[in-house]
Amino acid sequence: MDGIKYDYIVCRYGELVLKGKNRKDFINRLYDNTRKALSAFPTLAYERNHDGIFIHLNEEDYCLVIDRLKDVFGYAHFSGAIRAARDLEDIKSQALSLAKRSIKKTFKVIAKRNDKSFPYSSDTINRETAKEILTNTDLKVDVHDPALKIYITVKNDRAYIMDDKVKGLGGYPVGINHKALVMMSGGIDSPVAAYLSMKRGLKVECIHFASMPYTSKQALDKVLKLARLVSYYQNDIIVHVVPFTDLQLAIYQHVDESYAITIMRRMMYRIADRLAKERRINVITNGESLGQVASQTPESLNVIGSVCDTLILRPLCMMDKTEIIDLSRKIGTYETSILPFEDCCTIFEPKAPITKPKADKCQYYEQRFDYEHLIEECLKHIESVKIVYDQNQDDEELF
Amino acid sequence: MPKVYLDSVSTTPVNPEILKTYEKLSADHYYNSDSLYDDGVTVYRLQEKARENIAELLKVKKDDLIFTSGASEANSLAIKGLALANPDRRHIISSIYEHSSVYNALEQLRRTAGYEITYLYPNAKGVIDPDKVKEALRDDTLLVSIMHVNNEIGSVNDIDTIKKVVKANSRAYFHTDTTQSLGKIAIDLKEVDLASFSAHKIHGLKGSGLLYKRQHIKIEPLISGGQQEYGLRGGTSNAPANIVLAKTIRLALAAQKSNYEHIGKLYDHCLSKLNDLTGITINSPAAGIKTIINFSTSIPSEVLLNALNLKGIMISSRSTCGSRINEPSRVLTSMGIADDRAVRISFDGDNRLEEIDYFIDALKEILQKYGRN
Repeated sequence: MDGIKYDYIVCRYGELVLKGKNRKDFINRLYDNTRKALSAFPTLAYERNHDGIFIHLNEEDYCLVIDRLKDVFGYAHFSGAIRAARDLEDIKSQALSLAKRSIKKTFKVIAKRNDKSFPYSSDTINRETAKEILTNTDLKVDVHDPALKIYITVKNDRAYIMDDKVKGLGGYPVGINHKALVMMSGGIDSPVAAYLSMKRGLKVECIHFASMPYTSKQALDKVLKLARLVSYYQNDIIVHVVPFTDLQLAIYQHVDESYAITIMRRMMYRIADRLAKERRINVITNGESLGQVASQTPESLNVIGSVCDTLILRPLCMMDKTEIIDLSRKIGTYETSILPFEDCCTIFEPKAPITKPKADKCQYYEQRFDYEHLIEECLKHIESVKIVYDQNQDDEELF
Repeated sequence: MPKVYLDSVSTTPVNPEILKTYEKLSADHYYNSDSLYDDGVTVYRLQEKARENIAELLKVKKDDLIFTSGASEANSLAIKGLALANPDRRHIISSIYEHSSVYNALEQLRRTAGYEITYLYPNAKGVIDPDKVKEALRDDTLLVSIMHVNNEIGSVNDIDTIKKVVKANSRAYFHTDTTQSLGKIAIDLKEVDLASFSAHKIHGLKGSGLLYKRQHIKIEPLISGGQQEYGLRGGTSNAPANIVLAKTIRLALAAQKSNYEHIGKLYDHCLSKLNDLTGITINSPAAGIKTIINFSTSIPSEVLLNALNLKGIMISSRSTCGSRINEPSRVLTSMGIADDRAVRISFDGDNRLEEIDYFIDALKEILQKYGRN
């Protein structure tokens, strides 16, 4: 709210409140993620409580801090809070100053005592504070549908007063469900898949299949940029770049054109599967969406996914393309995704890819060449890059 | 990884001596050249001295020279400025393989003012036949604009004959774009009415160039403004760049002979090595300029460019000014060359024979790996 100088931000946990025995892990993870996300504000102080994280603003700008917090997974909502002494008179006067700055017409006071030794009951605090506001402002009480809710919490050493809530991003703290390996192509879908994976608490690493020189260095830079953009939601990200050209060329040499994409996807899954196991990652995810292209029919997904025994989650599977695009705009990856660089899927686009591939036919084609060796080579030559979201770009000093 | 730059036709690195002079000029002589106090007058004097020196180097009159932001602006000013000043003659002759700054200026006149443009096609040797120019001339032909050296294949037009044909058979003006010939081969501006020059192709600054226009020819400015450049180009003079252009041209012309000899050796060496490889077609004409070799391979140009880029070798697949447009090259298609497999390498006095060898070795390896026969 305008003109109010808040002392704290109270961050309320989201869905994790439901979790019983792992609660402590959740809170600790969220606490770590929050501190990393807010590393640009070094003077903030933090308090972990059972119902939320309490951030002491210490003169930092409330709006800037809230803006960053709004993109941290795991919070239901945030409230700005002002401090009061553990004293009814001070509580009343602070609540009044907050009410006075509001442009709203109706209000309700909701008090809560964490410290039951406070000599006034919650009900008394409500009534006394409401009386103070009624006599000193034009606001009217509306207990059913108030425009302004004033929350008062009394603790054993202090009290604080909060007004309206700002909605959080929801989801689980990133990392609480361990890690996912996202197959990142450079298109619209895979960054969205990465985002949705993070939302359910998976810390994302990316695997990208590069077909240089059939794809350009700019195409790879685009993938790294997309990874950097989504890393905003988990602070940093590792991208594994697989040199895929030799394997791809072998596929086109030995496999009928109609099966080339199917076999290529099977090889990608095999490589992702091995890398996931090597890095103790339990989930593979990607931007596949049911029916979008020939390799994403139920038959194709079956035949392709069967080469891999790591759990495959496809967060976009049941989404429309328009929904995916909306999300990609929301998370800020769309403009980069549509940059016109070839990716490994578009470079050798066959004329008539098969929509209902058969497993035995795949095996027949795969027996024709030593793909095992080529997969080993791919794995051996993976280059892994760690990208930290806040790191400045190299040429920034020029401008 | 070594970095091998074989794309000097796109641009060249700034000569450190020129950069030093430019820095000094920018720091010490930042005043407006049109200001009336002493320090402003000094800048004006230096700029006019530069104009005088350039005129001497190009063997033209001082007042024939207009400083511009480069050859593209000079081309635009020559063509559109002339058209604006002569609205009664609406026919222009040019070639189909001009730089986009000429072609698109002409197309703009055609689209917006109904001009009739005759585009001549190069012959098998990649040059515009002077007889074809003669045939195309009409009473209402305002201008003939033919580039000196083509920037994609390197063919050299016989502008000495073309200008004579134009003068003997019409009252049309003759313009030539000398971007790729300045500092490489001789340019004779006698009987040429307008000519465009660029600084950054001869180790000068980007954003600096020149239009030569014989003083009596009327043109209209494209940038309206004050009294700068005879009222033909408004805007505060880019005096430090204009002043240092004199030194840029002087150094380029002084080194022209020895540089071009060296470039000739690189060219011969590279051409013989390319001819040794199988599956290579040379698209550049034998009598072309020795700074450019255009050739085709069995792999798409984009793939070859990427593969060379990974080895630190920088070349182009077409005119750099059209590199982000997905249209076929006018230049190559006009010569019947499939442009999706053609690439261009270009040499400069700075390049070394070892760099050519490194390039050839890399090319061999790439063709072996990705080439399909």
